[in-house]
Amino acid sequence: MAKPTTAAIPASGIAAATASGDLGRVLAQRERRFAAALLAPAFLALLATTTLPLMFLVGTSAFRMDLAMPFADGFVGFENYRALLADERFWSSLLVSLIYTGSTVVLQVALGLALALLVMDMKRGQGWFRLIAILPVVLSPAVVGMIWRTFMLAPEFGIVDFLAINAGLGSKNWLGDPLLAMISVVVIHTWQWTPFAFMVLLASLASLPEDIYEAARLDRASAWQRFRRITVPLLRPAIVMVVIMRTMVALTAFAAIFTVTAGGPGTATEILNLYTYRKSFTELSIGYGSALAVALLVVTILISGVLFALRRAK
Amino acid sequence: MTARRIRIVAVFAISFIFLLAWAFPIVWSVLNSLKNDRDVLAYPPKLIFTPTLEAYRDVLFGSASILPNLVSSFIIAIGTTVITMLMAVPAAYALARLRFRGKKFAGFYVLATQMLPPVGIIIPYFLILRNIGWIDTYQGIILIYLSFSLPFAIWLLVSYFEDIPFEMEEAAYLDGASRLRTLWRIIIPQVRGGIAVSIVFVFLNAWNEFLFAVVLSGNTVRPVTVAMFNFVSVEQTLWAKLAAVSVLAMLPVVILGVVAQKNIVKGLTVGAVKGGGRR
Repeated sequence: MAKPTTAAIPASGIAAATASGDLGRVLAQRERRFAAALLAPAFLALLATTTLPLMFLVGTSAFRMDLAMPFADGFVGFENYRALLADERFWSSLLVSLIYTGSTVVLQVALGLALALLVMDMKRGQGWFRLIAILPVVLSPAVVGMIWRTFMLAPEFGIVDFLAINAGLGSKNWLGDPLLAMISVVVIHTWQWTPFAFMVLLASLASLPEDIYEAARLDRASAWQRFRRITVPLLRPAIVMVVIMRTMVALTAFAAIFTVTAGGPGTATEILNLYTYRKSFTELSIGYGSALAVALLVVTILISGVLFALRRAK
Repeated sequence: MTARRIRIVAVFAISFIFLLAWAFPIVWSVLNSLKNDRDVLAYPPKLIFTPTLEAYRDVLFGSASILPNLVSSFIIAIGTTVITMLMAVPAAYALARLRFRGKKFAGFYVLATQMLPPVGIIIPYFLILRNIGWIDTYQGIILIYLSFSLPFAIWLLVSYFEDIPFEMEEAAYLDGASRLRTLWRIIIPQVRGGIAVSIVFVFLNAWNEFLFAVVLSGNTVRPVTVAMFNFVSVEQTLWAKLAAVSVLAMLPVVILGVVAQKNIVKGLTVGAVKGGGRR
């Protein structure tokens, strides 16, 4: 790696170089070397922690690799992928992932936007919202999951169950019933990340030009018209960006489901991430787990591709 | 009641419900952590009780102390932050301000690495670190944490570097200052705000990480997010102690969140505009 070329060209050097006519080339070369030196540490680290492991992963996905039965290990080519396509649990986990991601993102954006519009018009108390909204966002999803699983949702102990009993619904097995468990994990993710959508959309709302609204009011546009014709179009880029960011995060969610239901009951809340994890580190089928991980990467790339295309399409 | 009054009351009620919903799980954990074993199990749940620090004393200084885990979490989070910033600041500067071939590709590469789902790469991490004996070590975990902290910090910082006027650098060069000196003396002070935001986010993400920690940690290096599980088992949950551990795990990030409130909102919105952001 080239050492950073730190010596500046002294004034006389510039004159000499200009005289010989290749100042631009010399400077450009120095700039390239300097850039390479600055980029090298970060890019070597990224290569080592992302690109290299990815290549390794594609490799292991072509092997039968079982930590519980290492004697049966061996090269199997595309066998893991063939098994994957016929694996019902894979398709069901993919479906659970899509339902989980889709529902929580819609809820986060809808609630976040509604709340941002509400708070925007407040004369007092905005500070409280800004302060409280920070709290869920900075917490570890693992801790959030643990708190919800115990103090909020545990039957005959958690507050949600207490409220349900008092509302006459009776005690429910919030994490033991497939449908309730799915609703619970979606609610938990939505609880933690709606503040994010709220804060970003509130900041975008605050940056919208006030005079358009003034003009609309003078034209006697109703509140709904102002929202539909002015706010939504102007906020669109921010909303799309929030949708993209929230989708990517929901797709990579792991800790908040792992700590709450671990994918259960059965496979009711087993998103693709959890299936991959369980296959690899609970059932110890590393080879097949690698194929699942590759499938997960492909799904992530496809979805982010679609989202970014939507963003460009405007 | 006039329509206006109804509106005001409705807005107040909805706001109150949202604030309560966000604050309650956290406040409730804090309250439970201050109860004794009898109060924590009381039904209906007790809002008024004699607070005690028993649970904290037990989890900090008892037989299964989580003090070592808190220390692990701090070492991991601080180590990740320091190394990430040392690498990300120069890289972000180069990506934002210097001309070189392949710059566009380099930027795209950083963005792409940021999108990697952690579960997608945990298998090779586990196999490789096991092979070189780095499972359950600080260097192993911190190295792996760079995979998500670096792309995030680089992208965040690039947007700050891009905002500095070019004239500042040019003036410094013309005065005969070297490139490195210019970067250190002139440019970096201009992006102090961005550096603060990055530090906050990298620390938060490293402190909160769970998946990599579960797979790559062991008995020596076990952050508190993983150690928390010791208090929940099939036979019984140690409610007050679990609450105390949760509160201890939340404390540093909540303090950081409240103190650096402005930085966090800024980081989130910069990310939203530029397309960064991870978890």
